[in-house]
Amino acid sequence: MLNSSLASTKVNAATPLLGQANATLSEREFAAMVDALAADPNRREQLTDLLREDHHFYNQRGAATVVRMRGWVLLAVARIGLADDALVFVLEELDTGVDAYLVAAAAYALRSYQNPNPSIAPFVMRAIAQIRYHDNPVSFEAYGDYAVSGGSTSPVLELLVTLAWLGPHARDVRAEIEVIAQSRGLSKKAQIEANRTLEIIRGTDTAEEHHGGSCCELPGGLLSKFYWSRRSRRASEPLDSIIFEDQDGESVSFKEFFHGHPSIVVFFYTRCENPLKCSLTVTKLSRIQTMLESRGLSDQIHTAAITYDPAFDLAERIRGYGKNRSVSMDAHHRMLRAPDGIDALRQHFKLGVNFIESLVNRHRLEAYVLDGSGRIAASFQRLHWDEQEVVERAVEVLTERDVDTASVDLTSPELPVSPAEVVGVSLRGHPSVHDQTAPANLRTPIDRSPHNSLHQAKPVHSKWQRSAASVMGTLASLAVAFFPKCPICWAAYLSVLGIAGLNQIPYSPWLQPVLGLVMLINIVSVWLRGRGTGRMGGAYLVTAGALAIVLSRIGSGWEKVAIVGVILTVAGSLLSAFGSRKNSSASRSYRESANRVVSNREDLLT
Amino acid sequence: MTTKKSAPKTTKRRSARTSISIATSQRKVPKERVAAFAEAPLAVCETDANLQAVLKVVRNKEEPVEVRLAAIDTLATAAFSVVAFESCRHDYIATLREVAKDPNAEIRESALGLLAGEKDGFAQEKLLEGLKDPEKALVPPEKALQLLSYDVHAESYEAARNVVENPPSEVARQEALRLLAADANSGPLFEKLLRDKDEYRAVRQLSASALQAINPDKLQKHAREMLLDSSEYEDIQATSLTALNQFGDDEAVAKDKLLLKSIRRMRGKAASAKYKRNAKQFLSKYES
Repeated sequence: MLNSSLASTKVNAATPLLGQANATLSEREFAAMVDALAADPNRREQLTDLLREDHHFYNQRGAATVVRMRGWVLLAVARIGLADDALVFVLEELDTGVDAYLVAAAAYALRSYQNPNPSIAPFVMRAIAQIRYHDNPVSFEAYGDYAVSGGSTSPVLELLVTLAWLGPHARDVRAEIEVIAQSRGLSKKAQIEANRTLEIIRGTDTAEEHHGGSCCELPGGLLSKFYWSRRSRRASEPLDSIIFEDQDGESVSFKEFFHGHPSIVVFFYTRCENPLKCSLTVTKLSRIQTMLESRGLSDQIHTAAITYDPAFDLAERIRGYGKNRSVSMDAHHRMLRAPDGIDALRQHFKLGVNFIESLVNRHRLEAYVLDGSGRIAASFQRLHWDEQEVVERAVEVLTERDVDTASVDLTSPELPVSPAEVVGVSLRGHPSVHDQTAPANLRTPIDRSPHNSLHQAKPVHSKWQRSAASVMGTLASLAVAFFPKCPICWAAYLSVLGIAGLNQIPYSPWLQPVLGLVMLINIVSVWLRGRGTGRMGGAYLVTAGALAIVLSRIGSGWEKVAIVGVILTVAGSLLSAFGSRKNSSASRSYRESANRVVSNREDLLT
Repeated sequence: MTTKKSAPKTTKRRSARTSISIATSQRKVPKERVAAFAEAPLAVCETDANLQAVLKVVRNKEEPVEVRLAAIDTLATAAFSVVAFESCRHDYIATLREVAKDPNAEIRESALGLLAGEKDGFAQEKLLEGLKDPEKALVPPEKALQLLSYDVHAESYEAARNVVENPPSEVARQEALRLLAADANSGPLFEKLLRDKDEYRAVRQLSASALQAINPDKLQKHAREMLLDSSEYEDIQATSLTALNQFGDDEAVAKDKLLLKSIRRMRGKAASAKYKRNAKQFLSKYES
């Protein structure tokens, strides 16, 4: 049980403390404030807000102090029940935490969550794997208490208890728990807890199935991936003048490096001692570079790793750090430090980081995709991000940029047009990297992200262009409407010119070549159609009909042959038309089917 | 030529289990128990009974100090095998925290040293408390600063600056400066110390090393100025030569005629062998 002595502070006491400058707030006062917030159900959000790394209360505190403060907040969250909006902080601690107290507190807090489900179990198992060899004793008795006796708990114990709490929802990781239980590495108490957990999970094998519905999904937005539509992105002007120094000591401004192409940006610092954070992040950036290279995009999408700690992370240090993690470094891919710009970067990116003097005291995982104007198009925070997903997001941003350029091309023909600009436009007129006509390096499997709002770009046309296009479109439509498009049409025109006009022909000699030309066109048309469909009967009839009409014009007494000729021509044309209709129908069906597929992909995107 | 005879075995090699039983037995003499502990690390975490027996010795204030220290050393050695020690770690850390406040100074120092190596928050808190309030100090300030320097994330820079400003002893002051050598904000302090001819040579050397880590460009600038300063100490100039030779901008140094001329002149007059040696290396590299 948690000590309630500090919780006895009156609820109202928290109000002035929240606005208090952090430097004047002692740890004890902070703990009292947290207890007061936890005692007030209306201030739950303020309590969750204290889990943000960049909260001003953590400014200029040592790392160990921040651990004590955050741990106390997690324990307070546990008392009132873990809400959806705080779940990500708890899972983050299990995903990347290496401090025994915080991992234990996170496991403890997780058990107050109202919606246990199977998707949580892997986080707990990952935490056990990471913390088991640093299973230090911890105490939840009072703020800042360190365990010095055997009666204390530990992160592994708390995690095992949490697995038992998950019960049937931990079935999927039962085999992993069995391996740990059989490893004989656990302490006596942990061994007992592991066996108890296994018994509970085995006992549920025959019990009723766990809750149905959305049992296996984490709450929406939890994944900490945020995408911004082009209209909602913040301009990068405040950053444009920031001067970076790269791994070789070369200076480059934000505008110079981040404008004109999408970029993938991660943050790190070389003195980070959590192998699951900075070191892994920079290693993953290297993998991203490999992916871009293999798709031929390394010149089109830039990458950068920016240090949180520019005062200590000099050019040589960041170069060595990147080199040791196989990061490629050249003009398009750089390790960067901003000696005078870290505050502006913190503000613009809303970085999840805080400092004691110039040294980081805690930070979250964060990676960003910037568009060609240096604006944040996507961010990946807290939980481990997938390199493939980050690359796909950057490719989508790249494609959206290309379509913008294509739009400009309509009025600026002198600008170069890349292949990506003339293809990759979906049926809805929006750019789509899923379009199979796009270049292979821009294609991707279907995106299942529910957050995609990137494809709202529409080409921008000038006013005169729109008017001209409208008139031309009308004329073209009329021309197409009156143009004879099939054998029946040609037969109809022949009938008008032939039957109705036969008597007029002797008196209108200019009609004879016109009639001859129309017949010739009809014969060619039907012959071509016949060859395409493999049915030549119509062509033979039309040819015979044409010969009959010609004969009727040779001598007197042959006029009635013209009627036979017209009949043969109409019959041949009808035969040709019906013969090819089946194929036309199949072709239309295929097109409709294809359209549906692309349309479905577009639906997934929007 | 003398031949080395192998020493006769005075004691038969014991099994690890036997070592534990001897080491933890109060009926044995301290010397034998200390020797037994030295043989016991592999057995400490074999069984919970072994672990508890050793921890009991560590906690027992009635035990001879040398035996308790030997028990702590044995545990520390065993803990080095992280995987094999997994089941024992919890009680080991808890016991170290407990004896960190032991009446015996050696036990305290040993326990806090091991905890500081683990970057333990409890140890850091106690060490910082002691620096702020000497009455609460568990170890001398220089030791506290040394142990705090194991973790750059311990909030020790402010405490170290206070020690530099109001040093309880010169040893503590120099230990505080060593700790600040990783603090990027302490560059100006080290520049000042480096150029202060009244400062201890050890402090000036330390300042040069610190600047190389914190702000190497500043070190290059000061090194050049000190080499041009004929009133500067030769050992400090020798250090400056090394700094320019090893870490300097080769192109800029090679073009610096004034500097090369000054070093040539000083080399002929210098009494310090170290200066002469460094100057020779320097000139052979840049004079061609």
